Amino acid sequence: MPALPCLSALPFLAAIGLNHYIAVAAMLFAIGFFGVLLRQNTLVIYMSLELMLNAATLAAVAFSRYNGTMDGNVFVFFIITVAAAEVAVGLAIVVALFRKRHTVQVEELDALKN
Amino acid sequence: MTPAILALLLLLVPLTAALLIAFFFRRAGGIARFLSVGAALAVAAIAGHLIFRTGDTSVDVRWLTLGDFSLSLGFLINPLSKLMLGVVALVGFLIHVFALGYMKGDASVARFFGCVSFFMFSMLGIVLADNLAMLFIFWELVGVSSYLLIGFYLEKPSAVAASNKAFITNRVGDFGFVIGIAWAWVQFGTLNLDAIAARIAADPSLALTGVALLLFCGAVGKSGQMPLHVWLPDAMEGPTPVSALIHAATMVAAGIYLLCRIHFMMTVEALNVVLFVGICTALYAGLCAITQKDIKKILAYSTVSQLGYMVAAFALGSLYATRHPEQAGAAALTVGAAAAMFHLTTHAFFKALLFLGAGSIIHGCHHEQNIFKMGGIARKMPVTFLTFTAGYLALIGFPFLSGFYSKDTILYLAGQVSPLAEKLLVAGAVLTAFYMTRLWVTVFFGRAKSDHSDHAHESPLVMTVPLLILAVLAVVGGGAFIYAGPLAALPLSLPHIDEAAHHALFITSAVIVGVGVAAAIGVYRVGSANDRLEQTVRPLHSLLVGVQRVFDVLYGWYVEYVQQRLAELLGFLEHLLVSGLVVRGSAAVAGVLGIAARSLHTGNLHNYVYWFLGGLLAFWFLAFGL
Amino acid sequence: MTDALFYLFSTLTLAAAVLVVVNRNAVNSAVFMILSFLGMASLFVLLEAYFLAVIQVLVYAGAVIVLFLFIIMLLDVRGGDRARFRPLTAIASFAAGALLLTGVGLLFREPSLQLAPPPSPGVGASLRDFGALLFTRYLLPMQVTGFLLLIAMIGVIVLSKRFEAARRDPAA
Repeated sequence: MPALPCLSALPFLAAIGLNHYIAVAAMLFAIGFFGVLLRQNTLVIYMSLELMLNAATLAAVAFSRYNGTMDGNVFVFFIITVAAAEVAVGLAIVVALFRKRHTVQVEELDALKN
Repeated sequence: MTPAILALLLLLVPLTAALLIAFFFRRAGGIARFLSVGAALAVAAIAGHLIFRTGDTSVDVRWLTLGDFSLSLGFLINPLSKLMLGVVALVGFLIHVFALGYMKGDASVARFFGCVSFFMFSMLGIVLADNLAMLFIFWELVGVSSYLLIGFYLEKPSAVAASNKAFITNRVGDFGFVIGIAWAWVQFGTLNLDAIAARIAADPSLALTGVALLLFCGAVGKSGQMPLHVWLPDAMEGPTPVSALIHAATMVAAGIYLLCRIHFMMTVEALNVVLFVGICTALYAGLCAITQKDIKKILAYSTVSQLGYMVAAFALGSLYATRHPEQAGAAALTVGAAAAMFHLTTHAFFKALLFLGAGSIIHGCHHEQNIFKMGGIARKMPVTFLTFTAGYLALIGFPFLSGFYSKDTILYLAGQVSPLAEKLLVAGAVLTAFYMTRLWVTVFFGRAKSDHSDHAHESPLVMTVPLLILAVLAVVGGGAFIYAGPLAALPLSLPHIDEAAHHALFITSAVIVGVGVAAAIGVYRVGSANDRLEQTVRPLHSLLVGVQRVFDVLYGWYVEYVQQRLAELLGFLEHLLVSGLVVRGSAAVAGVLGIAARSLHTGNLHNYVYWFLGGLLAFWFLAFGL
Repeated sequence: MTDALFYLFSTLTLAAAVLVVVNRNAVNSAVFMILSFLGMASLFVLLEAYFLAVIQVLVYAGAVIVLFLFIIMLLDVRGGDRARFRPLTAIASFAAGALLLTGVGLLFREPSLQLAPPPSPGVGASLRDFGALLFTRYLLPMQVTGFLLLIAMIGVIVLSKRFEAARRDPAA
């Protein structure tokens, strides 16, 4: 906030640059990753995966804007499309798995053990 | 017909006979017999043609090449090989004919004749070989034939044990022989006998004592010199024609023939060793023969003793030649080779005769072999008695028979080279006369000591005719006139003996014969029922028996305590190291790796994500060059 | 002004994301996800990618999360999972957290990322330019993506149909 000069001493309160957006994307990615690592429910894991994908799209758009090109935006378009298709198929698999195993807890889905 | 083709025929005819018998005529004893005897006749005819009608030749064909080393098969036909060929072919044929009668009625007669034909093939291979490798191949084949024939009576465990003993003892000698061949190849770059001779003629320092002695090892094994003589007496388990052919006339002479073939490789030190071995063998075997009761064993020890004489003859002649080089020159054989071959030839005649005669006696007495159970055979089997006597007289060196001339040559050479050797060889000759007279008087005179010998009858013509022919040869074999054509090289190559020496030798021989015969008759009396030496001078007899047994006892101790223990140790090590550490160890390592890889498959999704993260970090570090 | 909006929406996005991951109830997670996507769309607007913002809401928040909700309710997943405390997990989490903080700090320091925004309107503001680029330079990826959607659709049908066929004749 430019009206408070003392606040400009803190780096993250300076004018919003690319690094701010990238930082947000990184943190979002990390949160998604934690979700994949720590949750037992397959569906929640899948949702965390989508969060990671979103973080990547945010980073792409930010780069595209700050470098003055269009390619990043176009790419994000494709990413969103592909992510949607992937979710559809992935959930179909989860449904099939649930019908066989009657569970979506990752702990119990260990048939490939040894 | 070139000599090479004749030589090839000589090899192929008995081989074909053996193969035909092996494949088609195993049960047809009649056909097998005549096939084999026909092959022997053909061999004799071809050999005659080869010896008298063709010249010397040396041909070879390269067979296999391994890097630097090439193995060729070829023939070297010179006066030496012609002489040996004559002996082998003639004596072999006569023994084949004898065996027709002897083996009649035996169930496995086809196997017998197949093995004998195979033996003829192998022996002729040794005679004709032109390089050491080929000679070794046929050397081994002869060993195989000997094994097959000694163990001919398969049901007798003693025969089987004897054939094993023969083969293994031969193998010990062959071990030295093979090392000698390898060293010879390293030293001379070739194994062809003519080529080696040429190289040594150009540079005498090439001849090494080590090579010569190692090659002599082969002769020690095959010709039953001490300490590898133990197999020959046991080899008497085979049928008598086998003993005559293989263990008297031909195979055991192969060692002597080898020495003659490689005479140019000998050095003076090697010859001294050879002489020592020969004299020791001659004396030792003579001592052993005194206490034997089996007629064939007596003859076997006699063979060992005479082989010692032949070996000593070779050494003495070669040493004589080095001291009197002016006597060489145009002679086709060296003095050593001539002396040895002369005794070999005469020995082949009279020893084959003695063995066949013994076979005739054994056949007539219904397989009784103990001389103290025979007696009075002279009246019952007159032809056998006459021929056996001729052989006996030739063996003990009765004047003017063949053995007299060959033995005298040896004694003359001994006198020229080393008086000690001469004295020892004379003592050996006295021993020979002693034990042979013991045999002669016990078997042929007096009363029959057992039912079998009482009912002895003369053998049929097929057995007595070869005996007669061999008897004639044993009597006249010393004369130069029977060595016609190329064989005249033999008498021409013998050392020149002057008149005074001739007289001295004649007297020496007469004294030897007289002393030996008189001593034997004095001790054993004519036709006694038991061994009088054993009865009267028991300690002496026991000492002699001990002397005869000592080698077998030593070998037995060695095998049981040293070799067996070593084998068990090696077996234990193998179990531990090879099948344990290497085989099961590598299986265990593979198993451990498998378990390690398997433990990564937890089936837990989160674990896989952690591994994923780990891999990502690794990539990051790599990218930053950490 | 835009700075304040940036902070607001980024905080919203991140907080919603944390709640997605932390929540026991799957339906709650899905709804918070929608909230997170709304924040994302706002950030896109701030970055002048208006088309993408709309697409984000329509496709992601509108279709993908709805599909998630469908499946969650279809499978009728009972209650939350009791998170057992495992020491390995704690260690890994601490390590990951430390990595995260260092990463973010480094990003702030990174000089090549400290760019000022070019003056607006930016290059990508116009939809016409976006479409032109899409249909000229990125035509091939677009066609391929079309194919991909077709295949995904067929795949989903096959996956659900096969199972139906197996369930229909259990006694055969």
